[in-house]
Amino acid sequence: MSTQSTPPPAPAAPHAPSPAGHGPSRMNFAFFRSDIAPAVGRNIGIIGAGPSGLAAAGYLAVNGYQVEVYDKLPKAGGLMVFGIPGSRIPQERILRGVTMLERVYGVVFHTRTKVCCSVPLHEEEGDHFSFEMVSMAELIEHHDAIMICTGSWKSRKLGIPGENLPGVYSSLEFLFPIRAVQYAAAGVTLPPVAGKRLIVIGAGHSAVDVAHSAKKLGAAEVTVVYRRTAAEAPCGTFEVGRMEECGCCWREKRTPLRILGETAVEGLEVKNADGSIEVLPVDAVVTAIGEVPTPPFARELGLENVRRGEVRWLNMTALENVFVAGDVLTGPSKIGHAVYSGLRAAKSLSHWLDLKAQHRESEYDSAADTVPRPTARTMHGR
Amino acid sequence: MQADQAPDADAGKEARDTRILYIDYSKCIGCETCEAVCKFLYARPRIVLVRTVGGEMLPLYCRHCESPHCSKVCKNRALSIDGQGAVILDPMQCRGCETRNCILGCPYGGILASDEGVGVSKCDLCAGRRKSGELPACVEMCPCGAIHYIERERIPEIQTEESRQAEERVLAHLRPKKA
Repeated sequence: MSTQSTPPPAPAAPHAPSPAGHGPSRMNFAFFRSDIAPAVGRNIGIIGAGPSGLAAAGYLAVNGYQVEVYDKLPKAGGLMVFGIPGSRIPQERILRGVTMLERVYGVVFHTRTKVCCSVPLHEEEGDHFSFEMVSMAELIEHHDAIMICTGSWKSRKLGIPGENLPGVYSSLEFLFPIRAVQYAAAGVTLPPVAGKRLIVIGAGHSAVDVAHSAKKLGAAEVTVVYRRTAAEAPCGTFEVGRMEECGCCWREKRTPLRILGETAVEGLEVKNADGSIEVLPVDAVVTAIGEVPTPPFARELGLENVRRGEVRWLNMTALENVFVAGDVLTGPSKIGHAVYSGLRAAKSLSHWLDLKAQHRESEYDSAADTVPRPTARTMHGR
Repeated sequence: MQADQAPDADAGKEARDTRILYIDYSKCIGCETCEAVCKFLYARPRIVLVRTVGGEMLPLYCRHCESPHCSKVCKNRALSIDGQGAVILDPMQCRGCETRNCILGCPYGGILASDEGVGVSKCDLCAGRRKSGELPACVEMCPCGAIHYIERERIPEIQTEESRQAEERVLAHLRPKKA
């Protein structure tokens, strides 16, 4: 019927099957509907192109909004592309989804663009990729509303002596360059661990990813040190078993006390369960104990107050028309929580703008926009 | 010319769509995106992650069985199979019976207790979305490509040794062996 001259671009077909033919070959961030709603004549700026930012962008774009996404990195996808190893998430699947947002839904991506905030540049992992700087004030001027989805990019510190020695990495410092090195930027090099003895501190999924990646990079010995037991490890006994199968050494019930060494890492002093002190010889240490959120303008946006309550949050911040979603508020969580938060915030943003257009701001139901914090979950029963 | 033929071939094949979900547990990383988008669309998610004894986070989902136990044990005949082969819960027929036999009857944990409505909810393969030619939302958004939307008879083609083992771990978790 409609075989006119322009065939749709490959990633554009909304329901293009994968080569194997049993599912789409890309994430469809605009899954909410298949037909694009008529343009609503509003322009939204989204800061951060991770899972929450992309989910929000997809929801808004397919509902007729013009969306512009800003990200400091050379590619969209956030930690789905730059943090989690490709063996777990195929990078092309995310990037094809981003291409679909661009081509089908007209989302504009400003990559290598950092929205400046109070902290100096180069404090977080990935900052050295930014060529452009935009100020928050410019964004507020330019867009009808802003959504901040900047995630958690600063690593938590152990707070023990020797942590600043060369050869001590955070999990993000360790994993990020492995993916980022292909976008050659000054200052991004693979962690030099080939032939070395490496200790990973922590037992979450990042610790597992670091251990496997270190093995792949040719580390001579990989030891995972955890202060509790395998049964309590966030990654679970199955993953602990898999690390051991791959030749990693699991050392539980050991609390790190100090990292020893003068100019480079030489050993890790740990306290065992019986109170005895042990020194593990090592050439490099990776701390995989979590990240902290990095919101621009945390104080101005009143995020501290919201976070301290730690039970619920409003998607709209103290600044009118500025919304926030994802890990930047909750701290590191999971892709699913970030996606949900992005979708909810996007819905809430469009409700707010609809009411505002009719001068009915007072009817904005902020309670309906609160999202319960992720809680410990049990099987069934929900 | 070729472009004309392709849709025809597809149309013939899709005269009756019999695709269902198949999750390759060996590719799933437990990120909860499927549950999140389901919750966003339907408030009560119909695909829910479980943490197994070994600490793996994996989603439980309805397999849309050809001869579903849930339907057999439902005295109200509230569970039926639609034209695509999807097992559908009709809340009008269900009326929220308290036996919850369907939950007990499902070997896959695919029927979920809920504190709303009739007290149970289940996947309908996004019935509303299917009507407008859309795919189930979890299939669209899975970052890993672990959720397949595929004809029942073609599932064995895409199963691997890893996916079978992972599936066994989930089923062993759902039905632990008696000591």
